[in-house]
Amino acid sequence: MAEVPHLRSAVQAQERIHFGGQNLFAGLFVALALAFAVLAGASGDTFFFRLATEALILAGLAMAVDVLLGYTGLLSLGHALFFGFGAYVSALVLKNVAPSFWAAVGITLLAATLLGFVAGFVSIRARGVYFALITFGLAQVVFKAVFNTREVGGSDGIIGIPPIRVEFGLFSVDTQSPAGFFLLTLTAAMLLYAVLAYLMRTPFGRMLVAIRTNESRVPFLGFSPWRAKLIAFVVAADVAALAGSLYPMLRGFVSPELFAFQASGNAVIMVILGGSGTLAGALYGASILTALKSVIGTWSEHHLVIIGGLFMLSVIFLPKGLAGYALPRLERWFARGGGGQ
Amino acid sequence: MTELIESFQFVYGPQMANGLAIGVAVVLMALGLTIIFGLLDVINMAHGEFYALGAYLGLTLVAKGVSFWVCLALVPLIMAAIGYATERALIQRVFHSGDRHTLTLLLTFGLAIIAEDAFRLVYGPNPYKPDAPISGASELLGVMLPNYRLFLIVAGAAIILAVWLVVYRTSLGAMVRASAFDRNMASSLGVPVDKVYAGTFAFGVALAGLSGVLLAPIYSVFPTMGKDFILLAFSVVIVGGMGSIKGAVIAGLVLTQIQSISSLFISPVWSEPLVFGIMVLFLMVRPQGLAGRLGNG
Amino acid sequence: MQQLKLIAAVAAVFLAGQAQAQSTIKIGVVTPLTGTYAGIGQQVKWGIDLAVKEINDKGGILGRKVEAIYEDEEANPNVAVQKAEKLFQVSKVDFLTGTVNSGSTLAVGQVAERNNRLASTTVSYSDAITGDKCSPNMFRVNAKAGMQSEALAEWLVKQKPGGTVYFLGPDYEMGRSTVAAFKDAATKRGLKTVGETFAPLDNKDYSPYFGQIRAAKPQVFYTSVAGNDTVRLLTQMSEFGLTKGMIIVGAAGTITAQNLAAVGKAAEGFVTGVGYTMEIDTPANKKFVGDFKAMWKTDPDLFAVDSYGVVYFYKTAAEKAGSTDTDKVRTAMRGLEWQTPQGKKTMRAGDHQAILDMYAVKIQGGKFKIADKVSGAASVGPDTCTKF
Repeated sequence: MAEVPHLRSAVQAQERIHFGGQNLFAGLFVALALAFAVLAGASGDTFFFRLATEALILAGLAMAVDVLLGYTGLLSLGHALFFGFGAYVSALVLKNVAPSFWAAVGITLLAATLLGFVAGFVSIRARGVYFALITFGLAQVVFKAVFNTREVGGSDGIIGIPPIRVEFGLFSVDTQSPAGFFLLTLTAAMLLYAVLAYLMRTPFGRMLVAIRTNESRVPFLGFSPWRAKLIAFVVAADVAALAGSLYPMLRGFVSPELFAFQASGNAVIMVILGGSGTLAGALYGASILTALKSVIGTWSEHHLVIIGGLFMLSVIFLPKGLAGYALPRLERWFARGGGGQ
Repeated sequence: MTELIESFQFVYGPQMANGLAIGVAVVLMALGLTIIFGLLDVINMAHGEFYALGAYLGLTLVAKGVSFWVCLALVPLIMAAIGYATERALIQRVFHSGDRHTLTLLLTFGLAIIAEDAFRLVYGPNPYKPDAPISGASELLGVMLPNYRLFLIVAGAAIILAVWLVVYRTSLGAMVRASAFDRNMASSLGVPVDKVYAGTFAFGVALAGLSGVLLAPIYSVFPTMGKDFILLAFSVVIVGGMGSIKGAVIAGLVLTQIQSISSLFISPVWSEPLVFGIMVLFLMVRPQGLAGRLGNG
Repeated sequence: MQQLKLIAAVAAVFLAGQAQAQSTIKIGVVTPLTGTYAGIGQQVKWGIDLAVKEINDKGGILGRKVEAIYEDEEANPNVAVQKAEKLFQVSKVDFLTGTVNSGSTLAVGQVAERNNRLASTTVSYSDAITGDKCSPNMFRVNAKAGMQSEALAEWLVKQKPGGTVYFLGPDYEMGRSTVAAFKDAATKRGLKTVGETFAPLDNKDYSPYFGQIRAAKPQVFYTSVAGNDTVRLLTQMSEFGLTKGMIIVGAAGTITAQNLAAVGKAAEGFVTGVGYTMEIDTPANKKFVGDFKAMWKTDPDLFAVDSYGVVYFYKTAAEKAGSTDTDKVRTAMRGLEWQTPQGKKTMRAGDHQAILDMYAVKIQGGKFKIADKVSGAASVGPDTCTKF
């Protein structure tokens, strides 16, 4: 029994390095984003700011997918359901209730939590491929429902979402301002990251990893995997919806395609490209994919083939994504830098 | 009483006869999927694209002068070769990792993206419709059905029977079932499991391709056709039981009947969600489906 | 690292583009080049490229060369908005066109407003675009659903006065509103409705609905399906013997160059109300068709001719205004008359809807033959746009 303290401190030391590396990875992302902001701001740009803002919004969706896939081991092929839901709720609030950021976000959070519980209750009973199929089907059904419902704009979507000012008491940000809204979204994305990263390092987060590793053993340790999975599902739903709520503020409109399989599929690609199970990987993956689609799409009509091919190569040869390449190096750097014991 | 008979003759009967033709088409599609599912435990997200590839291959061959009937034999052979190659070159690579389910799903998902765009690049975005090799219509249960659809019902039944015979009455089939039940045991008994896996995948793909050729004269051929049957095929596979041929047949026929008849009562747009809802119900209550998994019955 | 490199690369392209900006006039085209509507996007591209070539050969617009810049919107409004903004901000286009589905057109109209530029659609025929969802920066050079319905109903009432009609449409905004528009135009002229069904979009098999159709015994069958759905609906109806003795009519987008070959014999006798057919017998159209076939080795359809026309629309307006300044061009565009292979078009100032002669067109022997003609003034309907 004398080995246990040594074991614990050894594990803790390792974890410190591991988390340190992850924090560096995320911090690096923020640094790059700020560098980009300086560059783009200096040249008075609008388009690239908005494109980057869109990438950050999608990164929120990707992080939500990563919580389920990378940590809990559940592949969600329909997470756009919550993203689109958040976008539509936010759009409807902004247009019909009050042009207030906090109202939109707050109502979205409440509604998404409710939806998350309902959808989670239905989906959690299934595992593996079944779970993927249920989430896929749920998203398809909602997509068709929204597509066919005139009251929420039908297939045309909803245009005319007014630009708003986000009040923070001392200062405010105009959603029309490319740089301002970019920084706001960056802050939001990193806040979401921080909350999720913290959550994943708590005992709850560790339980999710345990479930992913070997779910049948978890009950023997005295825990209920079902409850943990449900909570993870609701958390993922909330994050995706919050990210989605920012979309109408950026683009001034919403359309049913936000629920389509393409959106869910892209989120999965982002997670894989960036590295699943790292959360920060989702941030990188979203940025890379958005940039790729924009650049390649202009140069060639074959962009889908190229991106599909890249994705497949990544799955086969680089299953841990960008994080798989970067994290070991960052961890070593961190360990040398004095973070480790 | 006469009202009941009348409504059966004029409303439900025809609707059911129709549903039968559609049902056979769906079962053919789902058959290959359930075999791949059942044995390899792999979601083949690209199954629809193999279906499309079969249809396009049929088009190309017919354009070169090959008769439709020869295509029915030739296309599955070509597709089997493609399926075998795909399994060995792609699926095998990720098959042995711990995250197998997710990775194969993602891999085939990527393949589907590429395939759809490739079709558009090679054949153009516009639809083609090959002529049905049998023309004219006849009466069945009080409704006029095109002869080609009647042929489909018969041909479909024959194919389903053939597949069942192969899987349950041949030693090849026994090897397949054994590998599904217990891979290691089968391997130690001398079954070449890797080859069996590849061969089974090839077989499933060949079935998909064959469905493509058979259904092209009814549903036409275009780059996004792979998405036509996906949700329905997966629903059939799950409700029927992954890997169960009997289950796929029963589920396929029943679900299409439900879809067909429900369009009489509710707006047609909700028929597919209804079927999906049934699938979700099964997943919640009886995930092994009607008949259980391949190898288990 | 990757992010920085990519940004640097695109910044370089952006700066290089700046140098060119002064000399050429750029027309941005956001159109689906992949996906379900890729066939339409292709015709749009062919039409625009032909117009740009002709105009450049004759000296350009205001003495400056014209360039068309394409972006693929994948028939997804979210992508369309992003690409539209790219074209406005990075490529600095002076004018934008190319959107196909109405969701994209509406969203892109908003982007145009925010960038203080003008745009036009050449394909979308949802009435709302120049109706209750009109925009001061969005124009439409093609016929809208209401106009198509007027032309078709006019022809139909002469063929079967008081006839019975069955409607089948795809269940989404466009499908329902097109059916509603024609139902309106038809019942106004004394035709009767005997049934209505809405099938899901991308429906594979229409045979479950044939029982209802047979029971209703309609003399006329109207459908607003499009693309692959049309192929399946009409060929399946034909195989089931449902088309015998019925007049089959539909929306302008139901049978086009993209799916005509696939629909094949089942298309014979189909009539629709549309703003264009290759058979229009004017020197301008003959020249257009000849040039188009020579350049692209295929027939033009209404999407090509409307897209060809939009370039000339912009040219005429810019030359009338003497500049590419947005407000001046907008003023020039309102009430503008310009020549197209379809004849003279007039852009109505009140709602930015083009007024053009409409035709009832029948498919005979695989060709779209003119069966009747309705003047622009009679078919355009009232101005319902109240935003400007």
